[in-house]
Amino acid sequence: MDDLEKYIIDNKNKFEEHNPDVSKIWSAIESQLPDQKKYKIYNLAWFKVAASILIIIGTFSIMSRINTIKTTQNQTNPIVQQELRDIDTYYKDLVAFQVKLVENNPKLQPEEKEKFLSFMKELDIEHEILKQEMNKNLNNEYILEAIVNNYKKRIELIENLLEQINNSKKSYHNEGYVL
Amino acid sequence: MRTNILYTHKELVEKSKSGDRNSQYQLYKLYVDAMYNISMRMLGIKEDAEDVVQDSFIEAFKNLNSFRYESTFGSWLKRIVINKSINHLKLKKIPVAPLEYHEYTISEETNEQNKDIPLDINKIKKGINMLPEGYKQAINLYLIEGYDHNEIAEILGITTSTSKSQYHRAKKKLVEIIKAL
Repeated sequence: MDDLEKYIIDNKNKFEEHNPDVSKIWSAIESQLPDQKKYKIYNLAWFKVAASILIIIGTFSIMSRINTIKTTQNQTNPIVQQELRDIDTYYKDLVAFQVKLVENNPKLQPEEKEKFLSFMKELDIEHEILKQEMNKNLNNEYILEAIVNNYKKRIELIENLLEQINNSKKSYHNEGYVL
Repeated sequence: MRTNILYTHKELVEKSKSGDRNSQYQLYKLYVDAMYNISMRMLGIKEDAEDVVQDSFIEAFKNLNSFRYESTFGSWLKRIVINKSINHLKLKKIPVAPLEYHEYTISEETNEQNKDIPLDINKIKKGINMLPEGYKQAINLYLIEGYDHNEIAEILGITTSTSKSQYHRAKKKLVEIIKAL
């Protein structure tokens, strides 16, 4: 390699002298990419279905749990305990599945995701404490109510997230990218 | 270490694969300057370079699923830009590859003549722009874009030895021009 070659290679960065019109090129690119709306509608529908299922199952399970407890009165029946545990495991799986969905959803802003997940984590901790309490005192209605509220909050969170996705979809076409 | 480099911006690439517009835009912003400069060096006309960059990103995003981290995303994209720029020149009937009969003129390069060249970046840039199109691409691809002769041969659809001879003649011509400036 001679001096000229070496000099050019060493000064490669000096050949980066042109500045593109970033926004102009991007709008041309964006207009030719497949419309993102399709994905959003798909996901939104999915979330709606998932959230509705969660709400319905949640209501039924909680009602049946209260009924079971009312009928068993003050006995700590091992069958009841087992059933409660089953219900709880089912819930935990369902919520974990929802959280996973949110985590893996590429259509959500990282901030939105983080906010959602941090709330979910808080509720998890609360739920854990409530469960321990319930093990000690199965028929305490106050604790049951708190558990119900805990699940309600989770549902509310998912609903909020739905709303956010909905809003971002609505405003999508009006907002330009800020450069 | 090599693996890490190959997976540069992996998260953005993966999200872009699934059609996430925000990630696509972030990738675009990361690479648009470099890609535009590559195309400008090859084509020299703002509007042409913009068209090529635009088409390249559209093609890249549409075919992102075929990107399997065998190279970095940047060099994969760069290759698209280079190919599209070359095609653009061909469409305009600008000869980018040398005529085969030139091949017999391969002569051993002597570094003697390159000794007293003023190493001035502005003169060199000016000199490169004054080169015939084929010579300009040879210098660009080899020295600035950093491709080896095998790769250049593939890009231009010529043999490796033609690429070498084209490059040496280009350099000789460049030296002449710079000295005269």
